Amino acid sequence: MQSYSRNNIILRVNDLKTYFFTRRGVVKAVDGVSFELRQGECLCLVGESGCGKSVTALSILRLFDSPPGRIVGGTVVYNSTDLASCPDQELRKVRGKEIALILQEAQSALNPVLTIGDQIIEQMKIHLPLSTDEARFKAINLLREMGIPSAEDVLNYYPHQLSGGMKQRVLVTMSLCCDPKILIADEPTTAVDVTIKAQVLDMFHQLKTKRQMSLIFITHDLAVVAEIGDRAVVMYGGRDVETAPVSEIISAPAHPYTAGLLECLPDLSREMSRLNSIPGMPPDPSKMPPGCTFHPRCPKMIDICRTQEPPLAEISKEHKVRCHLYA
Amino acid sequence: MRKGWLRDYILKRLLYSLIIAWGILTVTFILVRVGPSSPADKYLANIAARGQDPSQVIAAIEARYGLDKPVLQQYGEYIFNLLRGNWGWSLSTSMPVIELIKHHWIYSFQLILLSSLFAAIIGILIGIYSAVKQYTKADYAFTFLSFIGISIPNFWLGVMLILVFSVKLGLFKTYYDTTLPLFSLANLKALTLPVITLGTGMLAAYVRYTRSAMLDNLRKPFVTTARAKGLPEHIVIGKHVFRNALLPLVTIIMFDLGSIVFGGAYLTEIVFGIPGLGQVSFNAIFANDYPVVVAITLIGTLVVLLVNLVTDIAYTYLDPRIRYE
Amino acid sequence: MNERKETAGKDRAAFHGGGFRLASYYWQRMARNRLAIFGLAFIIFLALVAIAGPFFTPDPTEVDFEAKNMPPVGFTITQSVYDIKTDQFITTRVSGTWKHPLGTDRKGRDMLAMIVSGARVSLQVGLLATGIAIIIGTIIGVMSAYLGGWIDNALMRFTDVMMTFPFFLLLVLIVFIFGPSLAFIVLAIGLTGWTGTARLVRSESLSLRTREFVMAAKALGASDGRVVFRHLIPNVISLIIVIATLSIPGVILAEAALSFIGLGDPTVPSWGIILEEGQHSLTTAWWVAVEPGIMLLLTVLAFNFLGDGLRDAFDPKSNV
Ligand SMILES: Nc1ncnc2c1ncn2[C@@H]1O[C@H](COP(=O)(O)OP(=O)(O)O)[C@@H](O)[C@H]1O
Ligand SMILES: [Mg+2]
Repeated sequence: MQSYSRNNIILRVNDLKTYFFTRRGVVKAVDGVSFELRQGECLCLVGESGCGKSVTALSILRLFDSPPGRIVGGTVVYNSTDLASCPDQELRKVRGKEIALILQEAQSALNPVLTIGDQIIEQMKIHLPLSTDEARFKAINLLREMGIPSAEDVLNYYPHQLSGGMKQRVLVTMSLCCDPKILIADEPTTAVDVTIKAQVLDMFHQLKTKRQMSLIFITHDLAVVAEIGDRAVVMYGGRDVETAPVSEIISAPAHPYTAGLLECLPDLSREMSRLNSIPGMPPDPSKMPPGCTFHPRCPKMIDICRTQEPPLAEISKEHKVRCHLYA
Repeated sequence: MRKGWLRDYILKRLLYSLIIAWGILTVTFILVRVGPSSPADKYLANIAARGQDPSQVIAAIEARYGLDKPVLQQYGEYIFNLLRGNWGWSLSTSMPVIELIKHHWIYSFQLILLSSLFAAIIGILIGIYSAVKQYTKADYAFTFLSFIGISIPNFWLGVMLILVFSVKLGLFKTYYDTTLPLFSLANLKALTLPVITLGTGMLAAYVRYTRSAMLDNLRKPFVTTARAKGLPEHIVIGKHVFRNALLPLVTIIMFDLGSIVFGGAYLTEIVFGIPGLGQVSFNAIFANDYPVVVAITLIGTLVVLLVNLVTDIAYTYLDPRIRYE
Repeated sequence: MNERKETAGKDRAAFHGGGFRLASYYWQRMARNRLAIFGLAFIIFLALVAIAGPFFTPDPTEVDFEAKNMPPVGFTITQSVYDIKTDQFITTRVSGTWKHPLGTDRKGRDMLAMIVSGARVSLQVGLLATGIAIIIGTIIGVMSAYLGGWIDNALMRFTDVMMTFPFFLLLVLIVFIFGPSLAFIVLAIGLTGWTGTARLVRSESLSLRTREFVMAAKALGASDGRVVFRHLIPNVISLIIVIATLSIPGVILAEAALSFIGLGDPTVPSWGIILEEGQHSLTTAWWVAVEPGIMLLLTVLAFNFLGDGLRDAFDPKSNV
């Protein structure tokens, strides 16, 4: 495991709140999330589907649909700039250049009517002082590095001519082409099959070790977290419920929700994989339960959970949890 | 790898277009020739005035133009002549049909071209703006106006424009001046009202099509990707979204062309007295001048078919996913 | 082309029961669209005018040269009138009177009466011709989709030819050749205007044909006719309603355009015929051209608003 110190924090998300103001009511997709990303680490955001992981990622670069979405509170500090409130002009210089994002919908994240080359090169020409030929050359090299055979040809392809795994690689290439400091990848392992999943994980490993990238890796799968993450933020109902180094999350989960997620993992030590799941459904973010949002499903619920929001409790310097059991 | 199938496809479509054109030619021919009236009708008054026997004279005229032969034989001869490049003889204007068309096509062409440009440019821009600003006051206003635009009868719009700008304000002539040289500012000015008349309905339709095509694409993941790359908004909208919206747009616009050529342009020419092919075929219908009617219908049909074919081919370049069998 | 997304809730078993609840659901969805409600209100108003109006207005064909070129109420114009006694043109000021609220034309016919009569013509033509076109289009569309094979092919090629055919020119030809009677105009528009319906109904039926409930009916041994009439047609009805509403304006305009170029039925004053006359008296009586046009515009607009609202209400994808 990699060593890191508290000082080299590269991105700090503080009490971020992103709401969607729809006709049916206010959807509090992200409702007070805080974490920090350290230089060179892989931070995982983990939680069931619908808990606000994607919206958190999109909020960092203000990419959610707006309207109806709006950041109603909190800050996203990068290089002493608050990305949540800075002018569009400045944000555009950060997008793709400093912080790159790979969307969850990898299969439709590429423009179907433009060539791969066009889509990679246009980005470089915006951010870097390169001629088209230089940008092309760089793109080819990067594609090769990502393990794409016959990279020159791929530049002239359209997205529909690529397989799912290839698209994923092209997206990673595209996100890396301006040498960003931070890469946010939203569930890159979810929609792909098992063999490709291993390759994708391998690719992200390499980014960390070879390029010293700082990664925010989003997944709903704790097994993936265990494989690639340094630290993890467990999210539930639009909040960060537990933040800790991955080893501690796996060996000593504090929050009942984290423990529940771990229970769901197929148990490899047994013959038959036991597929448990936490009873109940994740809350509807437009009708959040009062108190701790997890209390209706929590096996260890106590009375106070119904009414009061749990405060942030420090189990250790590196391990924080939002739960009344530790307050 | 693309060229082979595309050439086969074009050949197939050309053949198909020819068959359709032939079908339409035949229907028109039959309609015109089985009608109760005859090209000789217009001489009746003269004949009566001179005290001649109408039936004899009519027979003579019909014999002269070959109208006394069986319809099937006339049809055969017409097709035969057509294949040799002979479009026939205009009975009412006493000149070869091809001369008549050569003389008049440019008036229709300039009207349709200018109106289409006017409508497409403004309509698409407003449509994009409306989509980007969805649910704002401006969007509602444009949507409402576009409803009026598609609902307004264009011949009435033409009459109203003449009433206001020509009769009341005296800014334009009430009639299109055919003596003006084609490539002159004066001609452009004379075409202002006709172009607005023909273009308004198209423009409104393009606003609606563009808006909905843009909205279909504005929320797609690849648009977020484009923004995540740090592209400025005008590239995100103008390149990434619009290139995708263009696909349905092109089809619909081209599809509309037929009804514009044969409906709107036809009526606009009549309202403003523009001597285009619409006006010519209109006069020909009333004069029973069947070679002209058939020829202009055929030409119009061929133009529409050709435009459709060109659209399909353009489509393969706009949308790399398309392959026709 | 226009890919209609398969959507849940479209398989409305509700046509076999609970139809009222469904209708009220769609009504509520549509009622949220204020323009559609305006459209519906105007159409109802127009229908009332067309039905009851003629009992309250004078004969629209009654000529009265004493009262020619009278402006509508509230307007005053200056007219040059030839005076027989003095053999001179004298300029007089003429104001509109309540006897002729919308003025009179150059033959002194009452404009209001003519407009009311025109409403009757337009609605008749619009409804009848659309009805014919929709029936033909639905039959061809459903047959094509359901029978498939070479019949489908032949029908669709035929539709292609009809679609390519210059619709308005065809109308002009037919009406010129067979004479300008209203019945012929209706028939001609109906017989030529079914192509769009046929296409849409075909593609909708095709996607319905493979849905579970039709498959189930066939598996249970329902006859072809039963499947078509009990299952396919009810399910394309919402589509047909929308197409019909949106086709009516085109039909009304086609009739008006025909009349405008002199191919209208001369025995019935229609908006197109009044407009044609008005076009020639723009300098002396502008209202004759303005009034029927406004009525045409409002009528077409109303049907377009209503059709659009209906489409949104029936479309499960849209959230009105
Ligand atoms: N554009 C939007 N409009 C309304 N609600 C949204 C929008 N995007 C996301 N949401 C809601 O925000 C919540 C969190 O979504 P998301 O962040 O995508 O979850 P996940 O953790 O699976 O990535 C969901 O309940 C979703 O319905
Ligand atoms: Mg997600």
